[in-house]
Amino acid sequence: MNRLNKLFASKNNNLLSIYFTAGYPALNTTIDIAEALEKSGADFLEIGFPYSDPVADGPTIQHSSEVALENGMSLKVLFEELAELRSRVSIPILLMGYFNPIAQYGVERFCKKAAEVGVDGIIVPDLPIYEYEKMYSSYFIDNGLSNIFLVTPQTSEERIRKIDELSNSFIYLLSSSTITGYNLKLSDSVEEYYKRITAMKLKNPTIIGFGITDSRSFAKACNYANGAIIGSKFVKLLGEEGYMDKIDGFVKGIRP
Amino acid sequence: MKIKVCGLKHPENINAVAALQPDYIGFILYGKSPRYMANLATDALQTIPASIQKTGVFVNESSENIDRLVTEYGFNAVQLHGDESPEFCAAFKGRVTVIKAFGINEDFDFEQLKDYANNVDLFLFDTKTKEYGGSGKTFDWAILDQYKLDIPFFLSGGVGLENIKEVKNITHSQFYGVDLNSRFENEPGLKNIEKLKEAFKIIKNKTQQMKYGVNEQGYYGDFGGAYIPEMLYPNVEELREQYLNIINDDDFKAEFDDLLKNYVGRPSPLYHAKRYSEKYGANIFFKREDLNHTGSHKINNAIGQILLAKRLGKKRIIAETGAGQHGVATATVCALMNIECVVYMGEIDMVRQAPNVARMKMLGAKVVPATSGSKTLKDATNEALRDWIGNPVDTHYIIGSVVGPYPYPDIVARFQSIISQETKAQLLEQTGKELPQYVMACVGGGSNAMGMFYHFIDDEAVKLVAVEAAGKGVNSGESAATTALGDEGVLHGSRTILMQTEDGQVVEPYSISAGLDYPGIGPQHAHLFKTGRGQYVSITDEEALQAGLLCCQLEGIIPAIETAHALAQLEKMKFEANDNVVICISGRGDKDLDTYINYFGY
Repeated sequence: MNRLNKLFASKNNNLLSIYFTAGYPALNTTIDIAEALEKSGADFLEIGFPYSDPVADGPTIQHSSEVALENGMSLKVLFEELAELRSRVSIPILLMGYFNPIAQYGVERFCKKAAEVGVDGIIVPDLPIYEYEKMYSSYFIDNGLSNIFLVTPQTSEERIRKIDELSNSFIYLLSSSTITGYNLKLSDSVEEYYKRITAMKLKNPTIIGFGITDSRSFAKACNYANGAIIGSKFVKLLGEEGYMDKIDGFVKGIRP
Repeated sequence: MKIKVCGLKHPENINAVAALQPDYIGFILYGKSPRYMANLATDALQTIPASIQKTGVFVNESSENIDRLVTEYGFNAVQLHGDESPEFCAAFKGRVTVIKAFGINEDFDFEQLKDYANNVDLFLFDTKTKEYGGSGKTFDWAILDQYKLDIPFFLSGGVGLENIKEVKNITHSQFYGVDLNSRFENEPGLKNIEKLKEAFKIIKNKTQQMKYGVNEQGYYGDFGGAYIPEMLYPNVEELREQYLNIINDDDFKAEFDDLLKNYVGRPSPLYHAKRYSEKYGANIFFKREDLNHTGSHKINNAIGQILLAKRLGKKRIIAETGAGQHGVATATVCALMNIECVVYMGEIDMVRQAPNVARMKMLGAKVVPATSGSKTLKDATNEALRDWIGNPVDTHYIIGSVVGPYPYPDIVARFQSIISQETKAQLLEQTGKELPQYVMACVGGGSNAMGMFYHFIDDEAVKLVAVEAAGKGVNSGESAATTALGDEGVLHGSRTILMQTEDGQVVEPYSISAGLDYPGIGPQHAHLFKTGRGQYVSITDEEALQAGLLCCQLEGIIPAIETAHALAQLEKMKFEANDNVVICISGRGDKDLDTYINYFGY
């Protein structure tokens, strides 16, 4: 049972997760930012590792990835920075990024290293179910890492069931079929989609991401899921002067 | 080959079979059959798509009853499976498709069919039994050779997964399709969908049997697959499920062939380049894709995909383009079909290729600059993928090369395979031999090369030569020689070979030719490279420009700079005097005049 499972066992609503890109705005900020987020009350975090061609991301996260790469961020550098993760941060941590950097690092080596520094789960948007199951799942499982799958309003029920079966911490619900950084429009069809998911009574908790920007959209998302993730909005804040001092206010503004 | 599935009677099962898109579905209206659909409500067939012929199967029924049932159920075809006379059949001809069934055994006299020839549309040859079909037994198909009339026929009786491949080998010119029934059932009248799927796959899919082709999971050896975020999954899945059924459909083929012939101007000539042949000491043939409408091979794929998009019910087209050739081809077919078109193009490429931007706009397309990353082709591809994520239902993404998630590499390869298909026939006509010693083409993503190789890949005596762009030299740091510089990884949704850093970041390539300026190659090329089936080489900017000029002066053809890379490779080859060598002239050089002028100072 990793930290994620313990968290969901003890708390099942209004969970707040924050995403940020490692190496943005500068190297050696990852742990400082994570620590500040934990102090402000975030329940778990996603740390993005940058990729040159992030097709699922909008301009904000894309830009943060470009800057991070220019700064010299890589998986090797990230794992060095994360060496002191567990001496300073105790909430669950997920790493999120695209498959090619992992493939070059070596999937098995990546999983071992992630477990070693105290990471609890991985989100790889472009690693499909088939390839995960057939080629890589044993590396994740052997290292106690949860692999998180995404579900969109277009995902079929059959596929959601399959994802539920393969998941062992939570399922990442996309608010709509979109890239990151666009505002959540809670139309009837989106509401219907959330209701449809709720009615399926999945074994895993669900967390809503993409398009959550403020306390209102956060609260709304929590009506339908166990919590929500904020990404682009927080990454924008990291681009501002004096961002370290603004983190506390940001987090408390989302979940008063 | 058409597919008819016969003997359905349960509504849910009917819908599941209809989803497989057979050409005909048969309903048995013969009371003694265990597949009699007696209890089916008359509106139960309304959900069947119009593309499927709903067929009522009757045995010695009265014409009044047939008339009534045709009206009630809305049948498009009747299959008369009893002892109906030619006159009886004639009464329905013209109103519905008339299929007359006969039980065949070794004593069957095909002469008796003559009287029916003018009164039916199709015959169906079933195994002769007392029960009027559904026996699950086959007859000796060799006897079909005795059938000489010009009415097409269905083959029925005992066709199952174990013998379906033999059915595919039937070469009779009137063989129209196959009737699937009792060997695909859980019980009489209840079809086994998984078994049917398997049969459809075998019947419809040619590549599955090709040695270097794609497998069911979308892989070519170690390469391919669909590494895509979940947001793209439904789009890609829809294509994967539908593309073979659509592009193997006879109506689709007819429309595609018509447009290739009358709009694109195919077949493109295979030209025996005599001065080249003299110079290089072999018989050099040019496959003239430069003579196509819009000036390159790109139009073949654009036509195919717009027809595919139409059949998928899409209302909007997106595409990426580097040099603008694929963008122009896509804008062209969108104008032709009156469909909204958005082309993503790197901001830098828009400046470099301004005339093509103007062309696309004149053709009614919206050109959107890709401003992220390096602002070139790979970023345009990213932007197109992002657009598709946000518009999953109404939009089709026309990828221009044999790259991207499965099934794109296979779709594009099939549409471009017309190049090698024609070449084989033309070579046979001109040289008396179908197979050359060499086929050669340039490779960026690799669509013209895959089209040029496609029908030769399994003929291992034919050497395949693929020419990449070395830019300023393979080791200059400014190159697009993917196989020389790349490693295995994932790019734009498929596992392939790509140029990347140690950390897995995609490296920006360089070539003077925008069409070859891509950091990866299609997964099938990666497979041909890794297995050694294809020889992958590279040519520098300078070598290409010199070869382009030589082609102007020796043959009076100004080639695209992409094509000039393939021509330049001739300098490095050692041929035997009798070798036949085909080189794909993928595009014309008009778009590259500025580059040629700047280099040679004309």
